Amino acid sequence: MRTTVEDQRDAPTRRAVLRAAAGAGAVSLIGYALSGCGLFGDRTDPPPAPDPLLPLLAEARELLGRYDAAMAANPDLAARLSPVREAHLAHATALARLIGAPEPSATASATTEPSTEPSAPADETQTLAALRTAEQAAVRRAAQACLSAPAARAALLGSIAAGRATHVEVLR
Amino acid sequence: MTAAALETALAGEHAAIFAYGVIGARLDQARTGDARAAEAAHRSRRDALLLRLTAIGATPPPAQPAYALPFPVTNQPSALRLAVQVEERTAAVWRAALRETTGADRRLALDALTDCAVRATRWRRAAGIKPPIVAFPGAPA
Repeated sequence: MRTTVEDQRDAPTRRAVLRAAAGAGAVSLIGYALSGCGLFGDRTDPPPAPDPLLPLLAEARELLGRYDAAMAANPDLAARLSPVREAHLAHATALARLIGAPEPSATASATTEPSTEPSAPADETQTLAALRTAEQAAVRRAAQACLSAPAARAALLGSIAAGRATHVEVLR
Repeated sequence: MTAAALETALAGEHAAIFAYGVIGARLDQARTGDARAAEAAHRSRRDALLLRLTAIGATPPPAQPAYALPFPVTNQPSALRLAVQVEERTAAVWRAALRETTGADRRLALDALTDCAVRATRWRRAAGIKPPIVAFPGAPA
């Protein structure tokens, strides 16, 4: 009896492996046939809704690019701004890991730099004011994400919101 | 779950209020205003917690008569270092409360975490600590 039950349980997997090897057409047929048992449901279900934190990840990367541009335009600000830049990189990395999105590399923002650099104001005061405005808006968005997040995500998002608030402080 | 997290936060606020009494006494005049404002902020969080815990039928933990300091506070540099540490520790208890709370309680925890993080940054700058920020305020190092 015991052997029979195990055979039945194993059967779909073995069959699936064999037929998957036969080609993509066979795979989708199997997916349809087995969707009832949930094993291959992901092949026929509509794609999952995009993660609600994707905009926050995009924003962290966008802020990263802003700091790169600001430091390129005002090298004197580098000592002050680079820790904030590193914080945004850490936020982007943590968010990407949480969401399951590809993680940014330390140089990822270099590709966006040419497009943002010319528009960065070279005047130090203006540069800081623009970053301050961006961070203030970013605090609000991270706070909103924290307040509407499931428990498991709340602490990370709260730290990101609080961290962004400290960036405003550094820019004063 | 919420009550336990808020009780832990309250214990942290009690300790912070005590510490600022010590800190304020060791700062020069230019900094005492900041210490007084920080202490007032912690008192106001404490009062919010007392109200909230009473409202949900919990028994708020009372303040201890005194708290052990992590190191002797004898001058302005050690007072500033303690101020940084107080804000970091309070930030950590509020951060921990985030996952145990929802709605208005989580809002309270987030506002408190944010304020602690900002004050920690101000005190680090005053103490000349570089960099003055951490990437994830309240998170275990």
